[in-house]
Amino acid sequence: MKYGVVGGIVALSVGVIHLFASQQTTIVLDGSTTVGPLAKAFAEHFMQQHPGVKITVSESGSGNGAKSLINGTCHIATMSRAMKPEEVAAAAEKGVKAVAHVVAIDALPVLVHPSNPLTNLTLAQVKDIYLGKITNWKELGGPDVRIVKISRDTNSGTYECFEELVMKKEKMADDVEYVGSNGAVRQRVMTTPAAIGYAGLAFVDKKVKAISINGVAPCAETARNKTYPIARPLYMYTNGEPPQGSLLEQFVNFYKTAKGREITEAIGFVPVN
Amino acid sequence: MHLRTRHVLNRAFTGLGYVATSIMAGALLVLLVPIFVRGAGAIVFRGTVEFRRYLFEQEGRGDREAVHNEIAHARAARAPVYAMLAEAEKEIATAPLTRQRELRSALAELRDAIRELLGPDPGQRTPVLLRQQYGQTRWDRALVKLHEVLYTETWDYSDPSGMGRKVYVPRAEAFTGLGVTALFPYVETHLSAMLRPRLTLYWGFLTDDSRDAHFFGGIMPELLGTFYLTVGAMLIAIPLGVLTAIYLAEYAGDNMAVRFLRSCMSTLAGVPSIVFGLFGLAFFINTLHVSHSKSVLAGSLTLALLVLPTVIRASEEAIRAVPHTYREAALSLGASTWRTVCTVVLPAALPGILTGIVISMGRAAGETAPIIFTAAVSVGVPLKLWEVFNHPTPALSWNIYNVSTEHEAVDEIRHVQFGMVCVLVGLVLLLNLTAIMLRARIARKLKG
Repeated sequence: MKYGVVGGIVALSVGVIHLFASQQTTIVLDGSTTVGPLAKAFAEHFMQQHPGVKITVSESGSGNGAKSLINGTCHIATMSRAMKPEEVAAAAEKGVKAVAHVVAIDALPVLVHPSNPLTNLTLAQVKDIYLGKITNWKELGGPDVRIVKISRDTNSGTYECFEELVMKKEKMADDVEYVGSNGAVRQRVMTTPAAIGYAGLAFVDKKVKAISINGVAPCAETARNKTYPIARPLYMYTNGEPPQGSLLEQFVNFYKTAKGREITEAIGFVPVN
Repeated sequence: MHLRTRHVLNRAFTGLGYVATSIMAGALLVLLVPIFVRGAGAIVFRGTVEFRRYLFEQEGRGDREAVHNEIAHARAARAPVYAMLAEAEKEIATAPLTRQRELRSALAELRDAIRELLGPDPGQRTPVLLRQQYGQTRWDRALVKLHEVLYTETWDYSDPSGMGRKVYVPRAEAFTGLGVTALFPYVETHLSAMLRPRLTLYWGFLTDDSRDAHFFGGIMPELLGTFYLTVGAMLIAIPLGVLTAIYLAEYAGDNMAVRFLRSCMSTLAGVPSIVFGLFGLAFFINTLHVSHSKSVLAGSLTLALLVLPTVIRASEEAIRAVPHTYREAALSLGASTWRTVCTVVLPAALPGILTGIVISMGRAAGETAPIIFTAAVSVGVPLKLWEVFNHPTPALSWNIYNVSTEHEAVDEIRHVQFGMVCVLVGLVLLLNLTAIMLRARIARKLKG
């Protein structure tokens, strides 16, 4: 009798939980801190257009976004890099079919403190700095100060993008400082005169100096026409193509709407055509 | 030892105690006073007309007539600024061609700076992001932006051996010879008329949702999230913890198994909180699937595990401190052990147990690491009670980290960061105060 009651309560509560879970009025986003500002703005405007819909955004890094999607704990993984083959395979193993939606284009400005007189570096020079071959700004024609290298952590899509486009898969020096978000990179560079770092376009303002790479300044225009060498797409990944007309489908396609494009631009990214 | 020496030593020791206590009190003051003073700035500040326009247009608050009136006054005060800008446009068109390009870009920069200070130009299409729809809502921020209107920040790199030095160049210098130079003294002297600052009490900081990623609005979702997480954790930890404590204090003997159990609990108390967070993700979410994503439930379960050792230890100590004569008296009247525990021992031990519980509550409210992977998100709406089972939530502890490091504009929303910290510290202090008062009250009752 006792067990019957306990079992009944458990069954009832599980049923109640599943009842609420089955109503698709929530969208859970997890992943990139770069896509964060965009996802947050999209979420807010989407919720205004669709009252009763609840969207939550976590910014824990692209790698965590991918893991969440694979484990089925989010609807959309926001990522600042493409999913790796291992991740796609891991997803397939769990029955998750990762589908990519490119929602915006981003450039990765290389940041220095505004007091740093340098205005231009070549891609090779940036690579040498992070490899530890160049350790002093003097070697690049700057003041005699030891370079403080700031990088995103290895869980970050921004890091992977930088590793691929700048480092060409070579390992960074041991004395690189890793920080956990784009905002943290910006703050670290802002407060450290000898620092070099990199972050998404949306995080750059007057407090840090975005230097030109190979003579090209990072901005929306140069990211769009691909003249700036460190540019990358930003993604939203879903499990399979979301069903036509579903809320999820409307949300992942929000970037295509006029409002979506306007938001993308206002945040500082480049809308995709 | 000489009596004198003993006296001297005694005094020295007392003195040392005083010094230690006053250093502690000083440290506490140095820590708490700025937290509360700066945190109060989120609620009490000099709000500008832009703030009242935001409240009226977005939240429907404020007297229609008064707000419209004020906006009209502010517009009138701003009109000369825009007239001068339009005039500058014409002047530039007649300037020497060599100078036009440079002047145009300077003017565009000036327009941007003014837009940040006063909001969008009249007649301009409404921008899509809320943060661009309004000028500065706070007078302290407006003064910072005023400086940006008046001066450009450039860097002097003339010393090749060192880093550049920051130089503020009056923006007017770029426009020498043009009528628009009159704009700068005008903005400086009429800022108050253009923004109409007034002392504002904004309780909405506690009760409003965040708008546009914390640029506007309040921290209700975070506050509510912290509340749910804490209460949830305690609902799970209290029954488990107190029952375990009763078992350990009243029933368990002193054998290997119990000793092992105790050392396990001590270990649990020493496990870093981030490990609990990862465990919560791996166990509650990925293995047990208590919810299909992060959720308040998963977070509460994780926090409950975290505070469990404290609850058990405090409760056990409290139960053990109940004099044996109480138990003997109850047992001699023929009560069973269980009845004795429930009616005699537990009420007597209640103050101690409560203290443990409330201190754990403070801990649960303030912990960040356990909820990163199990419950916390950076943006979300306030949850209804039944949504806690499968919805993640923002929470104060995590969002303080989020808005002060990850956010795209940390410098613009300092007041939100200070406000959140202040509310969280206040909340924990309040919980601890409640503990002290409850304890005193029950102890008095038990005596009487």
